[in-house]
Parts: sequence; structure tokens; C-alpha cells
Amino acid sequence: MTERRTHSRIPLKPVYGPGDLEGWSSAERLGDPGAFPYTRGARAHPEERGGWIQRELSGEGDPARSNAQFKYLLSKGQMGLDVIGDTPTMACLDPDHPYAEHAVGTQGVSLCCLDDYRELYRDLPLDRITLSHSLQPAFAIAGLYCVARERGVSPAVLRGSVLQVPFYCEDTGYALHMPFELRLRLAVDSIAFCSEEMPRFHSFLEDTYYISDGGLDAVEEMALGFVEIRGIVRALLERGVAIDSFAPRIAILVNCRMDFFEEIAKIRATRRLFARMMRDEFGARDPRSLAVNVAAHTSGLSLTAQQPVNNVVRGTTQALALALAGAQAIEVSTFDEAFRIPSPEAHLVGLRTQQVIQLESGVTRVADPLGGSYFVESLTDTMERRIEARVLEIEAAGEPAHLCETGWFRRIFQEAMERHTRELADGTLRKVGVNVHGIPEDEDVLLREVAEEKIEPFRGRIDAIRAHRMRRDAGRVTAALRSLHTCASDRNANLMRDIVAATELGATMGEMAGVLRMAYGRPADPFGRVGDPI
Amino acid sequence: MGVARMLRDAGMEVVYLGRFNMPGDIAKAALEEGADVVGLSCHSWEYLHYLDPLLAALREHDVDAPIVVGGSVVTASDARAIQSRGVAAAFGPTAESAEIVATIERLARGATK
Repeated sequence: MTERRTHSRIPLKPVYGPGDLEGWSSAERLGDPGAFPYTRGARAHPEERGGWIQRELSGEGDPARSNAQFKYLLSKGQMGLDVIGDTPTMACLDPDHPYAEHAVGTQGVSLCCLDDYRELYRDLPLDRITLSHSLQPAFAIAGLYCVARERGVSPAVLRGSVLQVPFYCEDTGYALHMPFELRLRLAVDSIAFCSEEMPRFHSFLEDTYYISDGGLDAVEEMALGFVEIRGIVRALLERGVAIDSFAPRIAILVNCRMDFFEEIAKIRATRRLFARMMRDEFGARDPRSLAVNVAAHTSGLSLTAQQPVNNVVRGTTQALALALAGAQAIEVSTFDEAFRIPSPEAHLVGLRTQQVIQLESGVTRVADPLGGSYFVESLTDTMERRIEARVLEIEAAGEPAHLCETGWFRRIFQEAMERHTRELADGTLRKVGVNVHGIPEDEDVLLREVAEEKIEPFRGRIDAIRAHRMRRDAGRVTAALRSLHTCASDRNANLMRDIVAATELGATMGEMAGVLRMAYGRPADPFGRVGDPI
Repeated sequence: MGVARMLRDAGMEVVYLGRFNMPGDIAKAALEEGADVVGLSCHSWEYLHYLDPLLAALREHDVDAPIVVGGSVVTASDARAIQSRGVAAAFGPTAESAEIVATIERLARGATK
């Protein structure tokens, strides 16, 4: 018989009962929804606020095409946006960098200067929808901030988020080719800037999704997430930023795999751990600082290229788990994810999945419907203990900067990836259509046409950005980039004012990132293909 | 990296170049390491645009090692198309580990004959 255990190898019993909660106090462990320790949810009456924010991760091609994509999704009932950049954008490479040539706009939107943000947000009601950004934070904030001001929308009313990924980005896919110190500084400076200028915006979105979807289990995911949150919080406090000025705007974007109850327990444990940590360790007093906003993206790794229609079922199962766990925003990885960025058809299925769950199933009529379950509470406690123990273990291993620079974290990601490959191959991890219940390739045709359609690179962007460089006031741009360099050389200054100023004058993200690298003794272009911007 | 481990476990020597390599860098490394087989891992469609430059760079460096492409985005029709362009083998998401190992062993033996 197979051993009974969760995906993160927590042993399970065949059935749970009162004995499993002996000595357990609901007042201490649960409280009420919307009250400390927030196990049951950050809000007392989530449904009265319209339920969770339903959105699908989007962005493709040039900014105009992405803008059309946003409008399509909003017209279908989407409540907020989450935009992701293409591979060059995520690496701070402009579209005319030689490495970007074949990747412009194929895996997200190509963005590099203020004109792009103007086009991206064209006609969108910036003050009425939440704008989430899976983009490099400092530059995305500058773009949004400038566009809002131009359009007469006060940045103070903007809602949404931007992910902060300084610890693990070099190891897990969003490599910036910047030293740890600079990555952390960009996070700290952008969060400090938003705490003053954009106080409703979640400028500190800890993204445990992208770090974990290579194969980390749920305990490792949240442990690494908490290590990063704690590292950034400490850096902000050292900078003299008051905890209650930024903690209410910390959110966590978590992964959701197929292990239904483990993922629910993980989210409940995360809210409780966060509340205790903020109150007891960091001295937060504002109740909003203790109630972390948990958003979720369902696991792309759990989806399969075989029988893509099965991915609709996986997305539904995961979204249901998230609804039961009280996630405040949900994005369903689309059925064609194994092949491509989402097609309009797949986007709509992802959105409709959420709408059907919310409007038809009735699972959200009461808050935390699983609260008090012998099994769920027991698993929540175990997850909490394991995550906390792993956080302490990692912090005892050394300073984050050292662990990053020496590849200590990278090994964790590599081992997880290898473990996932091995478990799929040996059948430990069962996957319908992959290692069980497969069908011959010629029978596997449903939805395949949509899934396999390719997006051509948007090479028109290359000439467009070259023309942009010729059009702008070169002297003023260079002066602004020099000022950013001077600012970056003063390790105590906040970079955001200079980034905003350079953005307004038409500097590109590649240029600004290059100048920052130079100020930290690195080559402006990590690949040595383009000249220094100043 | 999962593939690198799989091949090492099967007793092969694997030189992993990491991410972000251009065709010229790969050809140079293949020459310096005396590679029997050149493997490309690809998770976006960019590889389709880099294959011809890579084949040309290998020719330029006098490397006649066969090219093997593998990745989640490689569909059956892609595999057929790139094999006709000069790729020795292509593995998509449905490929079995044993099949990958056996194919690379066969190609490597062919290269060292």
C-alpha cells in the first residue's frame, strides 16, 4: 500500500477525530474571520466586499495588444488586472538588445519606457480597478505613477500590487544580473516610496508562486517566502521606515498545487504565522499590518501537455481549494499553459472557472467553511510548525546575501526540480495522462489546436524603440541617467525620485538598469552586447 | 537540469552551460569540451529562430556533434519540422526518460566511432 502522506511528505492518518485537537484552543488558534490571528481570513465578511478579485495573468505582444487583452478580460467580468512582462522585460533588457530579438512579446508584454505604459493603461479606469504587476517593481511603479499623474489620477488612490523578488530572482527565472545589495535596495526604495506616495497600493507583494513552481513543496515555498519577507522588513526598518507605514500593504502571491487540503492548510497557516510574526517580532500595532492579503496563482507545473482538457479540471480543483481557503485574489493557470501564454479561449475558461465557483457553488456563503475540521486544523498546525522550523533553519544557515551569492538557495531550487522530475518518472507523483491513464498521441486531439498555436515575436518593437531613442531629448536623458548613477552611488539615498525623473524624460528600463549596475561595479549590459548608457 | 541529472545517472559526462547561451557560445563550448552530442533545453519558441544560426556556428567550428533538442514546448509537429532542418532528435513533454537516455547514448556512440 502507498504511504499516506501529503505532497510535502507530512504523514497522514486514515481519519481524524477529537483526539487530534486535544488541548487545542479555538480562541488561540482560530479567532474569528477578520480577527487575530487571521487563520480564518483577513476579512470578517469577504462576500460582502464582492468576494475575491477574479483575474487572469495577461500581457502579450506590444503594449497596445496587451491593452486590448485587458479590455477583453474586463468585458468578460474580470475584476482586476495582472500583467506580466516578456522575458527581456523581466530581465530589464530593452527590445532592441540582441538577446531580445526572438523573444519580444512572445511570453508577456514588451515594456521599456513611459510611452509603453501610456499605451498599456490607455482608457483603463486606473482609480477603479486593481492593477497588479508581475514586473520589475521599481520601474513598473515609476511607469504607473507617471501615467496616473498625467491623467489626473492621484497616485494615492491607486490599488494593485507589484511583486518584490530580490532574494531568489537570479536563481528562478527573473534574473536581473544585479548584485544582491542592489536588488534588495530596489525593493526597499520602491516600498518606502509607495508607503508615502501610493499608500493603497500593495508595493510589497511577496511572490512565492514563481519560486515554487519549479517543484518546491508547500512547506519550502512558504519558508523561503517568509525568509524573504523578513529580510525585506528588516531592511526597511533599518532604513527607518515605520513598520505600520508599509506592513498593511504586504501581500503574498502563493502557488496552489493539486494537494487540496495541504494547500488550504498552507494558506491558513501562512496568515497565522504572518500575524504573530508582525505583532510579536516586528512590533506592528495597526491591525491591517497583521492581516496579510493572500492572492494565488494555480500551479502551471501541475498542468500537462497531454490531454490539455484535463487542465481545466485541475484549474477548477485548485480554484475551489483557494476559494475555501479565503484567497483574496485568484488567477487560474490556463489549460494551454504547458505550451504557450494564454489564448483568449483559455483565458475565458480560467475566468469562467472562478465565476462558476463563486456564483453557482455556494461555497463562499460562509467565511472559512472548513474551520474546526479535525483534519484541516491538525494539518494547519503541522504546516505552521514545519514552515516556522524551516524558516529558522534557513536563517541559521547564514546571511541572505551570502546564501544568495554562494548558490545556497539555488541548490534548493535545483534539488526540488530534480525531485519533481524523478517523482514523475517513478510514479510517486501520479499525473493523469502522463504516468497513469495515458492515451495514444493520435487520440489526444481535444483543445490541441488552440494550445499549440504560436505567437510570432513582435519585432516591430525593435525599430519602434530605436526611433524612440532618436526622438527624445538625448541631452536631458543622459543628464537624468547621470543623476541616477550619482544617487545610486550614495547607498543611503532612495532611488525612486531619480527613476521617476528619468522615466518621465523617456529613459528606457534597460538604460536605467544598466546605470544602476554600473554604480555597483558591474557591466551595464550583463551580456556585453550593447554599450554603456552614460 | 533534471535532464542533466538523468544523463549523469546513466553514466554520461554532462557539461551544463547554464541559461542564456547564444549559438556562437554553444559551438565554442562544444569544440572546447569535445562534445559528442549538443543538447538544447528550450521552454519558449525562441529555439526555432536559433537553430539555423547554431547549425551554422557548429559547422564553422568544425563540430560535427549531433544536436538534440528537448523542452515542454516542443510539439510532435515541431519535432518533425526541426528534424528536417538537421536536428538529430527532439523530445517534447511526452518523452520518456528511458527513450531520451537511449537516444543520446546511440547518438554519442555514433559520434565517437
